[in-house]
Amino acid sequence: MTAADGGPAAGGTATASTGRADSSGDGGPAVSARSRHDRLQTVLALARVEASMLLRSVLVVAGLLAGGFAIWFIVQLRKPLWWNASWQIGVGQLILALTVLAAAQLAAGRARRDGMTDLYGSFPVSGGARSVGHLLGLAGVVPASLLLVGAGVAIVQALGPIGVPSATVLAAGLLLVLAAGAAGVAIGTRFSHPLAGVLGALVLFLSSATSHVATGSGIWLVPWQVGQDQLGALPFPLAGYPPGAAHAMELAAIAVLAAVAALFLTIRRARTRVGLAAAAAAAVALVCVTGVVQASPIPADSLSHLMRAVAEPTSVQPCTVANQVRYCLYPGFGDVLPSLEAPVDGVLAHLPVRPDQRLTVMQVTTLSLPDTTLTHGHSQREIAEWTAELQRAPGTGAAASAIYLPVESWPTAGGALADAHFDIALAAAEWAVHLAPTMTASQINSSHFASCIPLDQAREPIAIWLAILATHPSAAELNAGLGAGITEVSNTWVAAWAYPGSQIGGYLSPGGTAPTTTAVGYLLAREMTRLPPQQVTRILTASWTRWTNLRSTDAQLAAALGIRLPHVSASAPGPAAGGTPAPGPQQPVCTS
Amino acid sequence: MDSLLEKAPYRTSRRRLSWLAALPLLARHIVRTMPWLTLTTGCLACTAFLALMARLASPSHSPLTDGTVRLAFLPAVAALTFVLRCPFRPVTQATPVPAWLTPAAQVVLALPLLAAAYWLELRIMTGTFPPRMVAHQPAIYPLTAQLAAWCAVAIAVAACVDRSRYADLGGAVAVPVSLAVIGTAWYAPASHRFLADPPASQGELTIAWYLIAAVAVICAGAAMRDQWHRCARRIRRPRLGSRPG
Repeated sequence: MTAADGGPAAGGTATASTGRADSSGDGGPAVSARSRHDRLQTVLALARVEASMLLRSVLVVAGLLAGGFAIWFIVQLRKPLWWNASWQIGVGQLILALTVLAAAQLAAGRARRDGMTDLYGSFPVSGGARSVGHLLGLAGVVPASLLLVGAGVAIVQALGPIGVPSATVLAAGLLLVLAAGAAGVAIGTRFSHPLAGVLGALVLFLSSATSHVATGSGIWLVPWQVGQDQLGALPFPLAGYPPGAAHAMELAAIAVLAAVAALFLTIRRARTRVGLAAAAAAAVALVCVTGVVQASPIPADSLSHLMRAVAEPTSVQPCTVANQVRYCLYPGFGDVLPSLEAPVDGVLAHLPVRPDQRLTVMQVTTLSLPDTTLTHGHSQREIAEWTAELQRAPGTGAAASAIYLPVESWPTAGGALADAHFDIALAAAEWAVHLAPTMTASQINSSHFASCIPLDQAREPIAIWLAILATHPSAAELNAGLGAGITEVSNTWVAAWAYPGSQIGGYLSPGGTAPTTTAVGYLLAREMTRLPPQQVTRILTASWTRWTNLRSTDAQLAAALGIRLPHVSASAPGPAAGGTPAPGPQQPVCTS
Repeated sequence: MDSLLEKAPYRTSRRRLSWLAALPLLARHIVRTMPWLTLTTGCLACTAFLALMARLASPSHSPLTDGTVRLAFLPAVAALTFVLRCPFRPVTQATPVPAWLTPAAQVVLALPLLAAAYWLELRIMTGTFPPRMVAHQPAIYPLTAQLAAWCAVAIAVAACVDRSRYADLGGAVAVPVSLAVIGTAWYAPASHRFLADPPASQGELTIAWYLIAAVAVICAGAAMRDQWHRCARRIRRPRLGSRPG
């Protein structure tokens, strides 16, 4: 049975002998009290039935499942940060809210939809009491919403989150579902056609899906904005971003407003209607007040602290030195450390000679300005200062002796974590063989920027060999990168090799600045892994300075190791229709 | 006897197509029972939404994208799912005219309205592009293929729902199912590379969506011709021999 079906009568609690549930008794105080009691019993019985039917509605069950899947899908991608995950759980609540709105509209419009108004009119329960029953019946979706919150919290906890959940944001998700249900009842009371509920749900969906149209603090005024914030890039929670309590109050006020609208359409008593009008006015006032609170700027002190923490991470990051490598992580991210140490230590274990410059692995954020959702209400001078500060932040440029790790990019488990480990190991190996570049942010952001390619340089296969030994990725995954295409260097076409994780942009910052790896380099490294590591290490140690020199070639390395140099043919791409291949931008050779 | 045998196939085909003679009479019924209000509401809702988006986008001088046009078309797709509802299917199945004729004809009648809504959307989107950026307008043909496929999927799902126990709810169930099907096809890694631009090229994307539309139309046809009312709910019958009360 669905919420739109007829369903059983209200348990026989309201019988014809008690009269209509909202008729006013005139038999003295005792009769009036009994009448009120009967009326309350009737409404509660109706609410119980409606709640049960709503909870078992196919739409609500589908919404619950889809919402749970959405939460899992969004949260499992990266290591969850609670200040972001709390809002992401609300996305699942939004999906549930869409279906609750449609189901509540179907339930409220049930009496009129199939021309059954007269039949329902003959019942001892008035339209007003039925509306109250429908509204109270929304309690039926509370367990579903709480289940979604519980499932979301369990998923996030299982992934080892950073920070603590925001109770107000999670409560706002619950209120979103209730507000959508109340809106569905209001729509169903006035419009019985199912399309009305569907359109109502689409309005809710589109208001969230197109929140990019809203600017500044306007994103918090829509029921639930999706993907317009920078919560994932914050290294710690920022007060008032999102304005959880005010948003929850706004949704509660909208729920009250929708409930009043539903009752206003069905209750005819003048006194009650005056009370409803007063409640509506109070709800509108509350919506306005909460809107103003949400639109108020984030305190300048908090933003300044955030910008400083992003621009100068060491001002807030405790650093530790392990195996002569410096690890600097934001407070609370300590449990990421072992995951970073393992691949770096793996590289160092096979490294014949360490460079003079110490390696630093540092967390950074990809927070960017201008972003009016963060800086609304602040002066242009302040915004300009913060923007300039962020442009100097580590991670906007590349340093030869530093690996920058964005806070929001670290995966939790599975193949993505293995790829991230390989990325870190390769970056450490490139530092070890002096292949890592140093570049400023302006160089990277220029329109002519292209990452360098270590064409025919022995240090490239050595770096890949070190990374493979440190992380032991599967051969299939490594070989899958061989079809990464070709690139032009010094008027020569070179087959590239996409290392694990590089095809989704990599896990390190700044993206796209690491040297482009070649297919020859990888194939030579693969041959090197077939030799005993001690043998390779001995040969490399014997003349390490020579091998890390950019003039040492792949052929020389292969000859020294006694292996055959792999051959990869890379022909120019086919001519365009009726012409010769268009000359494209050429990648520079790594000379660092 | 020979002449009888020769005429038999002719008579069979004539009997099979005899309902065609009723078409002129049926046309009036089809037009009258068409949910014009529902469909018009959906089309107007999508146009109004896009006009609002264009209005909101104009201060920032950011033209509307094909993504916004796609989103805006959802109300029209939702309304389309209510067109296939055949309230007295058991009765119409007993008549000589095929039961699928009315919903199929009403879908055909809905197409000009949908096309008009789409044309209006394109006009609104084009209007948000300043003259110097006209060259940057998104291509129309992949968008057309995509929205045609969405409509076809919605029709197929609505036809299937109409044959299920949720027939009374019609579009209220068909819309979320259609959106789930479209969303899954769009975001599932296996199909994403054929249905989204990028990674698919516009030509590949157009072909893929038209293929989906073709498959959906075949499914819709099969569902509409299905004569079995698939009521999955268990019907309780009194046991034989048991005493009432």
